[in-house]
Amino acid sequence: MASPLDEDVFDRLKHTEEQAKKAEELNARLHSQYEKAQARQAEVIGSNTTLPVTISSVRVLNAQNTRKGFLHGVFRPFLEANKKEYYTLSDALEDIGIAHHRLRKFDIFRDPISVYIDRPDPTDPSTTPTDIDVYFSVKERSRYTIKTGTEVGHADGSGYASANLRNLFGGAETLTANASVGIRTRSAYSAAFETPILSNPDFSWEVAGLASSTLKSWASHEEALKGGFTKLKWQTLSGAHKHEFGYSGLWRQITSLASNASPTVRADAGDSFKSALTHTWTHDLRDSRTLPSRGYLVKTVSELAGLGPLRGDVAFAKLEGETQAAIPIPIPGIKGDSGVSLTAGFRGGVLYPLALGGSGNNLPVHSRLSDRFQLGGPTDVRGFRLGGLGPRDGPDAVGGDVYAAAGASLLVPFPRAGPETPLRFQAFVNAGRLLALRKSKGGESSMDNAAVAESVKQTIRELADGLPSCSAGVGIVYAHPVARFELNFSLPLVARKGEDARKGISFGVGMEFL
Amino acid sequence: MPRHADASGEVKPDAPSSTLEALRRPSVPRRRSIFAIPAPVKQLFNRFPLAMYDANELPLSAPRSRELLRLYVFADGGGDGLEVVSFNPSCLKYQAYLRFRNIQFRVVSSSNHASPSGSLPFLLPKSAGTSGDSQSLDPIPGNKLAKWADGQESKFEEPSDPRSDAYMALVDHSIRRAWLYALYLTSNFRSVIWPLYILPTSSNSLVRWSIGYDLRKAAEAELLKFSPTIDADLLYLEARDAFESLDGILGSDTWFFGAKEPGLLDAAVFAYTNFLLDPNYGSGWTDDWLVGALEGRDGLRRHREQIREQYFVVS
Repeated sequence: MASPLDEDVFDRLKHTEEQAKKAEELNARLHSQYEKAQARQAEVIGSNTTLPVTISSVRVLNAQNTRKGFLHGVFRPFLEANKKEYYTLSDALEDIGIAHHRLRKFDIFRDPISVYIDRPDPTDPSTTPTDIDVYFSVKERSRYTIKTGTEVGHADGSGYASANLRNLFGGAETLTANASVGIRTRSAYSAAFETPILSNPDFSWEVAGLASSTLKSWASHEEALKGGFTKLKWQTLSGAHKHEFGYSGLWRQITSLASNASPTVRADAGDSFKSALTHTWTHDLRDSRTLPSRGYLVKTVSELAGLGPLRGDVAFAKLEGETQAAIPIPIPGIKGDSGVSLTAGFRGGVLYPLALGGSGNNLPVHSRLSDRFQLGGPTDVRGFRLGGLGPRDGPDAVGGDVYAAAGASLLVPFPRAGPETPLRFQAFVNAGRLLALRKSKGGESSMDNAAVAESVKQTIRELADGLPSCSAGVGIVYAHPVARFELNFSLPLVARKGEDARKGISFGVGMEFL
Repeated sequence: MPRHADASGEVKPDAPSSTLEALRRPSVPRRRSIFAIPAPVKQLFNRFPLAMYDANELPLSAPRSRELLRLYVFADGGGDGLEVVSFNPSCLKYQAYLRFRNIQFRVVSSSNHASPSGSLPFLLPKSAGTSGDSQSLDPIPGNKLAKWADGQESKFEEPSDPRSDAYMALVDHSIRRAWLYALYLTSNFRSVIWPLYILPTSSNSLVRWSIGYDLRKAAEAELLKFSPTIDADLLYLEARDAFESLDGILGSDTWFFGAKEPGLLDAAVFAYTNFLLDPNYGSGWTDDWLVGALEGRDGLRRHREQIREQYFVVS
């Protein structure tokens, strides 16, 4: 039975259709008006680019919680520019653009930030005819956010709470506190304070403290970490180059061993303190981090621990490099971007033992379980379990001092979904080697510097002995902006005895894949 | 027909009737889990990996000698010689006991974190190779060591004196508590415990302080389990009485209860007397409160010397 109400609903539906049509027309009209306005504006500005101006004032409206001194730093280029002899409107607009960009980057104001330029009242005797006033109208973001939730990831589940204090002292400082408890990461707590330096959003200083406990089932133990780090971060204006330089002091405790833990893990059980300087350089020109189709990435991480005044319980120099390149593959018959792409990546690392500072002993110390590299798993060499490559003692992946891994993936969009959706089929080949340093010929287990150098050289050469452990497979990729998910079917092609290869289906989630 | 369910819940015929079942099988398709891998696929899978190389070598810090039993204890250094004597009473008790039972083993200096039970000592069985094989190496925790050692030697019989348990309780309670107090809650903590237990853990002073603090707290908590307050005088008197009774029961015998060979009580008493009568541990006793409780106990002194000479090589 149709009630009057039902008819009403149909009427309304019809209405909406008409309304939508009207709205469309209106939009088109508005758009054309907007375009005209833009063109007019460009014309006005274009004909006035060489107009000499002096900026008499810069005002930031509605920034109650932001320090004046801090904002002063942001606009310093303006004030210095005024001293130039020929300062034109186009120069001023460029500077305003840079300042606008900076203000946005601090992440303390809501988008959009509006800019107004005004001429002061010409009757005011203190002004000159070239004076302009610049106004930035901002709206401050909420000063704190609190989040709680649960996460399910790669063989892990966790609950977390995080609090974020923004613009803490009115200079875009942030204080972040995180707490989470889970299955693999038993517990993790951290607090970090970060502040821009010289009002520059691309240059900042961070200091943080952390405490965590992680189950490392591939080596039958739980690792408890307590410590802190501080670092300077710098990036170029475009963000293409990023540098981080920092110091970290970490107390690591290998504890809660499984009953069948190997002697190697037992030997390293207990406490150690790492005192290290770290430098990270990232040069990322990929179009997407989780699903790149063009561009390349170069990244290096260097760490120097325990040398000289650094002290601590471990001493080594660690170098790691990573590159990835992606190229789109045009398909004849498909206009524009076909969505088919090839990505190839390479990673490598060396841990070079050094003599411990302050120990009065000139002999380099052997690497420990916590410091050695692990290789294998869905985000590096697929087709092997987590820590599945490299030296093994019984049930444990005890890690290695030198590694190299490479991979290539062909990504093809889903037939109906097209290249815009973040879904891809992939076919991949992965390979890797992870080796521990060997005793140099006839040497004892403790080595002097020359023996270590020889041993490292020998081990690097050994990477190329025989075929690398490798696997191949096919799968499905889903790239969420936050993380990439993969479901793969793979088979190992080459392996070493004891290495934990995985045949069949595996699931992976992570940020950076090989 | 007898049937039984196997681990996967699938019902299978018993072995004797299997030939009969095999004949029938073609007509009755066996119910199979959808996750089971078909035989040809499994055969194909088994061909992978296509090439298998030798195992990777272990890191340089990995322990190499695995042909001997290894007893993990608190000690200065390790080795298979007889000169390493643990400075921890619980560890020394079993180290001595294994020596009494003439079991060959290697002493490994370690920490509680290495132990599956959370405390030392424990014994790791022998293993054939240095790496590769995934044979299980289930360790034998301290509280099962005596039983395990007795089982190794069939002809051996632990002197089962009915009084043994009572005297063992004196060691495990009265003496142990006084020892905890004397070492952890007096100035001996800095002079004896600090150099023995804490300095080797890390070179970082914050880490050392934190571990030291935890150790003292744990000792205090242990003592407060038995009494609401910690009464130093009472602990001392109890320990003195315990040593007196032990000295009395030992009398002029070589071993407790007049046995021919030393037993677990001998090991337990030796573990404390050896430590208390050695003034050189750490940087020396600064408070010899508990050492005084052994004054005049010549029988126990003689007992200690006997074990040191006979079962350890001590300079």
